[in-house]
Amino acid sequence: MSQQAVIALKQAKRSLWKERLAEDWRVFHSNPLGRIGLTLLIMFGLMAVCSYIPPLIDPMYNPMTGVDPKIMASTGPSVRHWLGTDFMGRDIFAQLLAGARVAFMVGVTAAFMSVVLGTAFGMTAGYMGGVTDTLLMRAADMIMVMPTLLVVLLLAALFGQLNIWTIVLMIALFRWPGVSRVVRAQTLSLKQRPFIDAARVAGASHTRIIFRHIMPNVLPLAFLYMTFRVTSAIVIEAALAFLGFGDPGTVSWGMMLQWVWKTGHMFRAMYWLLPPGLCISLITLSFYMLGRAMDEVLDPRLRDETSAG
Amino acid sequence: MLKFIIKRLAQVVVVLFLILTVLFVLFRLAPGDPVERMVDPEMSVEDAALLIKEFGLDKPILTQYTIYLKNFAMGRFGKSFHYGDPVANIIREKLPNTVLLFTTAVLLSAMVGISWGKIAAWSKGKPKDLALTIASLVTHTLFLPWLALIMMWIFSYQLNWFPLGGMMSTSEESILGLDITWWDQALDIGYHMVLPLTTLFLIHFGSYLLVMRSSMLDTLKEDYIITARAKGLTERDIRNHHAAPNAMLPVVTSVGLSLAFSINGGALTETVFSWPGIGRELVFAVSHNDYPLAQACFLLIATVVLFANVVVDVLYAYLDPRIRY
Repeated sequence: MSQQAVIALKQAKRSLWKERLAEDWRVFHSNPLGRIGLTLLIMFGLMAVCSYIPPLIDPMYNPMTGVDPKIMASTGPSVRHWLGTDFMGRDIFAQLLAGARVAFMVGVTAAFMSVVLGTAFGMTAGYMGGVTDTLLMRAADMIMVMPTLLVVLLLAALFGQLNIWTIVLMIALFRWPGVSRVVRAQTLSLKQRPFIDAARVAGASHTRIIFRHIMPNVLPLAFLYMTFRVTSAIVIEAALAFLGFGDPGTVSWGMMLQWVWKTGHMFRAMYWLLPPGLCISLITLSFYMLGRAMDEVLDPRLRDETSAG
Repeated sequence: MLKFIIKRLAQVVVVLFLILTVLFVLFRLAPGDPVERMVDPEMSVEDAALLIKEFGLDKPILTQYTIYLKNFAMGRFGKSFHYGDPVANIIREKLPNTVLLFTTAVLLSAMVGISWGKIAAWSKGKPKDLALTIASLVTHTLFLPWLALIMMWIFSYQLNWFPLGGMMSTSEESILGLDITWWDQALDIGYHMVLPLTTLFLIHFGSYLLVMRSSMLDTLKEDYIITARAKGLTERDIRNHHAAPNAMLPVVTSVGLSLAFSINGGALTETVFSWPGIGRELVFAVSHNDYPLAQACFLLIATVVLFANVVVDVLYAYLDPRIRY
């Protein structure tokens, strides 16, 4: 092939990509669920970014250590503290912003790790077949039916206080089976296609076939699952923190609820009880809606189907 | 069919054995002295020696492992630090409470979810469908402990309709065990169960509704529905006797898959409403460093989940005559 032909081919490929992306975006955008979900997520993203601002204005707005010198108890909203203060006089609004940062951090890293694990195991199981397949899938079945929150609780009983990264790791280790099942099914069907045979005849190694030919085809599906994993990771971390087993050094929304509950303020301080729970519920909802909308982008059969969900 | 059930049960035993082994290894890997974890520091020397002997904590590791498996099979889990009683007794006392709350909640939300999902699919695109779909999306993603606290705030604290928690009123009669009939007691438990049950229901019915709705929409495209229409059956007949039974299969699968999720929710609900069940006991044991109790609660929950999954599989095979194992 001449130099020119290669360039032309590359350009054609790129414009094809662009067209496909534009089409996907159009489908995604025409779905009200996807639009609402994305808007909410952008809002939460802004909250996470803004979480760095309050402590810069005044150290008393530090979500963990900042204490208002004039206030030593929980007070309602005021100009000085938009959402009021908690039992130690810390600013609830600053904590809420910091919670968004923690939620994204926990959700995205745990989901990414579980998707990487799930894709790796799923592709291996599907491609290798035989004993490897049976063993991996049995393990997946076993882990899948275990209630993750309670498993992490038991590990906390054994190993003592868990820090936030250990929690993230635990969630990832116990949430990969769902992804691996889907990826395995996809790999099994890809393995039968002629282009894999062609690659093999051309002398490609197993590693090359897996990484160059199978992986690009399963990745979109795996990342669809990532949005659903994000919600479960956020919820598990929040529940763990709520029960009092979170990382004592981080302010997450679950932690805020644990404080309001354990200090007995839940019926007296609505300004404190409502915001964190609302945030957890809304971020879960928005990732969920985003997932449903992306489902529609990836699976054309669903397009005329899910007008309302 | 019998062969299939036996095969699945054998799998459960293997999985349980694996879980026990993993726990055994983790227990030895964890920092600190295993003896200290299993034996209450406040126990008398003789009692401690007896316990150490029962668990074989002074024997080589392989012997310890066989003793551990044997103890599990016999239901000997050691003594709870906090209660000072054998763990098995505590569990026997709490298990029925969890089973009562949890099964009622799962059955109720599955039944309501299925019937509302049917309605939503039938009136697809109409306001009724939209309202049901949005309601289930929203309630399904609410954060459970938060919802529980809000329910308590509204119905117990503000309106004073229901008790704040617990499972039975502690009036003098009930403490002394006088003058309460079986019926009064059942009513009292039911009264205490309303809020936790509603919380669990609100969280769970949505997922069943959504699965039922989409599965029903798929079923309505099948040829046998057209046949039923051509035969002149009423819409009601088609919906309830031709479409719904077939559309229910994916819901059964989703009940099985979401069981682990529901159990997490059950433990949270029990904790917030002080419902004296296994999930609350596990949380309590972990926060009080009561390892024998925590381990036993966890193993019991795991066993129940595994067996429930077998039940779901068998139910699936029963509902779908095409599946014969």
